[in-house]
Amino acid sequence: MAVRRKRSPARSKAAREFVSEVDELLERMRVDLADLGDQRARGALVPEIVNRLFRSAHTLKGVAGMFGFEGIGALSHRLEDILDDLRMGRLDPGAPAIDLLDEAVAVLAVEVDLVGRDEATPEGSAELIQLQERIEAALRQDPAAPAAPEPLPFDEDLLRALTEYEEHRLRESLRSGRALYVVDAGFDLLAFEEGLAELSASSRALGEIISTLPAPGDAPESQIRFSLIVASELDAETFDRRLDVPGASVRTAHAAGAGAGQPEPVAETDGARAETVASVAAPAAPVREERPADPGEWAPAGETDPSDEPHARPADDLESLKSISETVRVDIRKLDELMNLVGELVIQRGAIGAIAEQLLGEPRVARLARELAKAHKALDRKLQELQAGVLEVRMVPMRQVFEKLSRVVRRLRREAGKDVRLEIHGGDTELDKLIVEELADPLMHLVRNAFDHALEPPGERVAAGKPVEGTIRLEAYQRGNHVVIEVSDDGRGIDLDVVRERAVARGLIAPDALLTPKQALDLILLPGFSTREAITETSGRGVGMDVVRENVTALGGLVHVESRHGHGTTISLTLPITLAIIQALVVGVGDQRFAIPLTAVLETLLVDPVAILRSEGRELLNLRGEPLPLRRLHAEFGLPAPAAGARQAVVVVGLGDVRAGLLVDRLEGQQDAVLKPIQGPVRTVHGVAGATELGDRGTVLVVDVAALIEGAGRRREAA
Amino acid sequence: MSGANAAPWEDLARAAVQRIGGREEDDASAELRELLVIWLDEDPYALPIERVREIVRLRPITPVPRVPDAVLGVISLRGEIVQVLDLRARLGLAIGDAAPDLRRHRIVVLTGDDGQLAGLLVDRVSEVLRTPAAATQAPGARESDSVCALVPHGERFLSLFDVDRLLDLDLRHEAGSSS
Repeated sequence: MAVRRKRSPARSKAAREFVSEVDELLERMRVDLADLGDQRARGALVPEIVNRLFRSAHTLKGVAGMFGFEGIGALSHRLEDILDDLRMGRLDPGAPAIDLLDEAVAVLAVEVDLVGRDEATPEGSAELIQLQERIEAALRQDPAAPAAPEPLPFDEDLLRALTEYEEHRLRESLRSGRALYVVDAGFDLLAFEEGLAELSASSRALGEIISTLPAPGDAPESQIRFSLIVASELDAETFDRRLDVPGASVRTAHAAGAGAGQPEPVAETDGARAETVASVAAPAAPVREERPADPGEWAPAGETDPSDEPHARPADDLESLKSISETVRVDIRKLDELMNLVGELVIQRGAIGAIAEQLLGEPRVARLARELAKAHKALDRKLQELQAGVLEVRMVPMRQVFEKLSRVVRRLRREAGKDVRLEIHGGDTELDKLIVEELADPLMHLVRNAFDHALEPPGERVAAGKPVEGTIRLEAYQRGNHVVIEVSDDGRGIDLDVVRERAVARGLIAPDALLTPKQALDLILLPGFSTREAITETSGRGVGMDVVRENVTALGGLVHVESRHGHGTTISLTLPITLAIIQALVVGVGDQRFAIPLTAVLETLLVDPVAILRSEGRELLNLRGEPLPLRRLHAEFGLPAPAAGARQAVVVVGLGDVRAGLLVDRLEGQQDAVLKPIQGPVRTVHGVAGATELGDRGTVLVVDVAALIEGAGRRREAA
Repeated sequence: MSGANAAPWEDLARAAVQRIGGREEDDASAELRELLVIWLDEDPYALPIERVREIVRLRPITPVPRVPDAVLGVISLRGEIVQVLDLRARLGLAIGDAAPDLRRHRIVVLTGDDGQLAGLLVDRVSEVLRTPAAATQAPGARESDSVCALVPHGERFLSLFDVDRLLDLDLRHEAGSSS
């Protein structure tokens, strides 16, 4: 059944929790590391990325510690060391230690994989332990760059309020010749969060916010004042003009372009302004007196021993908590529940609509009825938005699976020493989370098949005039209401003669069966076609292809094989974008109703029985010159046949490249439907994807179009 | 099912109850189990109450194609779509002579071993019976494959179902073969 959920394999609960917790973290680190690599190549690191990586490593360390995986924790700690040194400027962006980051994340991923299979030890694999030592050695070789104590254009009290990192950013900004501005604003105590957020957003658009400090000066009691230290490349006038937040004042602490070594002696040129700057952190402090006369001697607080700097750690921790809470992990079952609720609302809405319709016919309440109809329309629109919103939450990019597959390929490459390149396209294509999860195994299977069997050994490839390096290509793209995922290779392709021989030997087809090339290719999808020992010497593909097809069909999808012998194979999976809410065409057969997912419906027509042609014992329709195979729904579902000679409706359905016409008695209109699994002892009902409630029309079965089309194809092949 | 040398199950069960009877009085605090008593015609059966999620009145059942005869179809239960089995067909029994009183028909919603729900259509539901857990007796060989014990109830015996086996349609194909 399409939406029946598989039970996950038995693993210890803690391990499962850990893996789900950490998988996402590693995913994000991988993405950020890729960005970091680009930035290093360009020679300009984006501090936000380094920070995020640092926080991810920090969180990973914490989570590993919580679950008792000391090895993972220790390696995360080494990662944190590298990243901390990098973000604090203690490590040169070109340092070899940074090259180890990618490797460390890969090793961590492998280790987490082991945890998931309950094969990990607390202290971690030998590889993991060895990498820790290498990182330590690399960090020893790259001694922290001695931080040149440069004077900063702020007084000591303010500097003391900054975290080590903020101070580092301050120095960085000066070094790069950016201007430093202090943006001051007061907000109403009760609503300051909004105002501050607005101010921060505006400031961020103009530069980098280095610190946000409360300024408890002489503001009225109902107010709270904040000062933002902002580094920007803009000059003072432009900055002020562009900031454009009412009530905010801008002061220049350090003008753009001034040399790093010579901070503009603010205090000496404009005493009043300097005082305000200084008062940012400690307005009550007697600023002038405490500032050393010689700017060169300003010793920034905490510079001597960074680890003891009291503000750095707490601030970092707060920040990391905040950034994680930006995303929420939700059990998909909760989303299912929400989706159910939305579906029930949709049904209620239908009932209201029907009442409004009825009332419109009553002259006495016509005015109210029109109001009700209007309200119903508005409700309808909002419900659609709600539905779309809930659906969107379920969507995840295919990249999540593709990343896992590329890890698999990397591992295979290491183990087999085979030269294989993996190309990935369309990772942004989004699919229902549930479908993505269920796709992981079939895709893994296809990729492994391609790697192990389809791609020839180097010698063979060279002899065939192909590049030594084989290519596996993963691509996802959206087509209408479906997503197509292709796994292709430039390997040996499928030899149709061998496929035929094998199918005959296994009794799947008669020795004299006439098959089109496509029909012959589809044979590899049949259960019992291939066995483990058969694959290498025969088709080069096909281990468990029936399993792949079964999984994909269960999701309401189709498998399509294309292959050129000697040139390669492409296997495409066509899948619905979501299983949860469908637009359904309600059809009547006898006294029963069925729902057909609209995503699969191409068109509907009415036909006279005389227009139905027969060919080779099958019924066909001439649809604008193309033969359209017909399936009678009543026959499919064992229902009584309609009266002979009655006009019938044909629902033309298509999935991938396959089309078929479903003959039904009546078309009863279109409706939103929440597709639900059928619970009970019978696990799967062929041709039924689930059921749905259609308000006053009761519970209606949803037709599994893929299964019916597949059934049509299979029957034909077997004939 | 072969039962060549099996004594009639009533005899076996009575003997069992007599054996257990004395013990029951010795131990007043014997563990009690609760059973839901359901009926087909004049025959009582029992279901362990912990597997019963709820009992609902008969409601329209949507037929499902290509399933064993014992599956009547599906109903919607507050948003969940649940298969309904006909207990009579499941046990391979003939329809009784008495005219069915549909108002007393009930669908007993059971929880399967995997957490999935399934409905069971019965003629009526009478009571919840509390009985010592020990006072059950293995069924005779002639009893249905889905009955796991016999429970004394007044003068008669209730056939207590093993819910997992009752819901496993593969165990008994002759009761409802699929097309």
